[in-house]
Amino acid sequence: MADYRFAKEKLADVLSGLTDYKVFAPTVTGDVVRFLEVADPAQVSLDYTNSNVPPKELMFPETETLFRYRLGQNEFDATVPSPEEKRLIFGIRPCDAQAYSIVERLYRWDFNDPYFVNRREGATLVGLACADPCANCFCPSVGGGPASEKYLDAIMFDLGDTVYLKTITDRGDAVAKALSSVLEPAGDSEKKAAEKQADDALSKIQRSIDTAGIPEKLPSLYDHPFWEQFSDRCLGCGICTFLCPTCHCFDIQDECEAFDGRRARMWDTCMFAEYSVHASGHNPRPTRKERTRNRIDHKYSYFPTKFDVIACVGCGRCINYCPVNIDILDILEKSKEAQVKEEKTA
Amino acid sequence: MVDPKKLQDKAKEILVRDDVRRLIGWKRGTYGYEAAPAVIKDASDAEVLIFDPTCVQNPASFITLEEKLPVPRGAEPDTRKVAVMVKGCDSRAIVQQLVEKAYDREDVIVLGIPCRGVIDHRKAEAMFGDVAAPVEVSLNSDKVTLTVNGEKKEAKREELLMDKCLRCRYPNPLVSDFLLDGEVEKFADDDFGDVAEFEKQPPADKWAYWEEQFSKCIRCYSCRNVCPMCYCVECIVTKLRPQWTRRSTDISENTAYHIQRAWHLAGRCIECMECQRVCPVDIPIMTLNRKLTRDVKELFDYEPGVDTEAQPLLASYNPQDPEEYIM
Repeated sequence: MADYRFAKEKLADVLSGLTDYKVFAPTVTGDVVRFLEVADPAQVSLDYTNSNVPPKELMFPETETLFRYRLGQNEFDATVPSPEEKRLIFGIRPCDAQAYSIVERLYRWDFNDPYFVNRREGATLVGLACADPCANCFCPSVGGGPASEKYLDAIMFDLGDTVYLKTITDRGDAVAKALSSVLEPAGDSEKKAAEKQADDALSKIQRSIDTAGIPEKLPSLYDHPFWEQFSDRCLGCGICTFLCPTCHCFDIQDECEAFDGRRARMWDTCMFAEYSVHASGHNPRPTRKERTRNRIDHKYSYFPTKFDVIACVGCGRCINYCPVNIDILDILEKSKEAQVKEEKTA
Repeated sequence: MVDPKKLQDKAKEILVRDDVRRLIGWKRGTYGYEAAPAVIKDASDAEVLIFDPTCVQNPASFITLEEKLPVPRGAEPDTRKVAVMVKGCDSRAIVQQLVEKAYDREDVIVLGIPCRGVIDHRKAEAMFGDVAAPVEVSLNSDKVTLTVNGEKKEAKREELLMDKCLRCRYPNPLVSDFLLDGEVEKFADDDFGDVAEFEKQPPADKWAYWEEQFSKCIRCYSCRNVCPMCYCVECIVTKLRPQWTRRSTDISENTAYHIQRAWHLAGRCIECMECQRVCPVDIPIMTLNRKLTRDVKELFDYEPGVDTEAQPLLASYNPQDPEEYIM
């Protein structure tokens, strides 16, 4: 653990100094912020709230080739990423880093998914503390915080003209070493300013939820009509799940052209009807009511029951981007109010 | 401004009727500048209904979005009416749905609301910041007044209104059974100047532009699902057997999707702009739709969603139709 600083105008030097790594950073195109491999350091911005698309796509891309094959040949080329490839996620928010740790529990559960796991093993996370959380951020309610270091290798604080960088793990120290020509030791003033920024950011969080009891109660609301208050206006689109840093479902498809083909996996979402439709045509989640319920139950009941952690990091994206104002905090509050009918005794 | 009491009373009066199943309107959202579509089934819930300049969503989309499960053997299908509140632009969706016989006129009760414009919450956020507490918004002929965290703020109409409102030609509903407020005077016009401006670019530049835009698409299909004219029971892009469009996201499939959707909306898009509003990665979908709208208007003198007696564009033929494209 050590403390450093660099002048913000040297950001391009910092990025180009990381020659040992494949570097991904928040990149601005129009009004959209997304984590892309750095091609032009000038497009990288530390001045953003939460990226439109979460950096889960760096571990779990929207579409990913699993292997390629050629018809008539009993061979295939697996396209598994190497864990040796050093990747650096620069400027990741603490909530998005926490999301990796959640999704990882599933991808390392009964089978080590080599695509996700290898990428994660090769990755160093240089985080960026939030100075101005968005109106719908609620990370402190789900175990995070605007300056949480827990899942990061190093953390940066944007202090205006200066960026304060604190290393947390050996991987973080390795980054600092690679940048020794650009970094200077930080002084007390930067440390104090960072602490103040972290406190201020925490006080700016406007929304919260007490999650106590929710995972236990949700199963009893399975058939409760309260879900319809939300599902009645659900469009059934994929925004809430595709933009969720912890949603991790995928579909697998074979795509073949003439004799060459690939097996690929791509993001799928329980909000689509075809997600749960059986080969027979039967759909156990026939309407948006069951699908809306599944999204909430999965995050706040099934996942905590199985993996001891709520599959939500409070980034606010599903609330911010829902076109019809389906608000996960509103659903959770209403789930607490919903009365479970007494079991009728025969 | 519509008196909320009047609006709620009318809603209650309709909801107590035996021949009405549900009413679709708007209610206050849970944060900031948001309203939420409200689907009300019981008159006692009608008190949440509002209409103000945050009510941007198009309730007509929800008429065809309603999922109907197979009717159990021996049971009768629910044929009760759906009541729906609409602004001028929203009402065009109902007109077009009727033209296409998506449902019968007597299946819906239309509550029309003459509208002076709704605000773009992204513009509001840029000016006044994003806030968790719901914001009160009102509008008069030249300014928008907002109450943000208890503080009164003002902005000019043109700074905050949705782009569609700044070129609105139909502020008054084109179909309605009950009008909830007095008609408003037309306050804007549309010369499709943005389309003409875009067309001036060389093809290579236009292609580069769309390549960048379509590359961003994550295929969440929010644009399709929110569209009041995208009401196919099974959409060709999500059909699995046989599969026509791959589920993988890449520039080829994404482009195919957006071109398909634009063409399927030719002569049908009623310009409520919902597709563009909902896009999480800011794809300017209306640029495509407006080009087709302008072409359809110029080539065939046809405008969708304005006349319930009209024929759909692709089902009508006129010997005078231009045919320069036929060799």
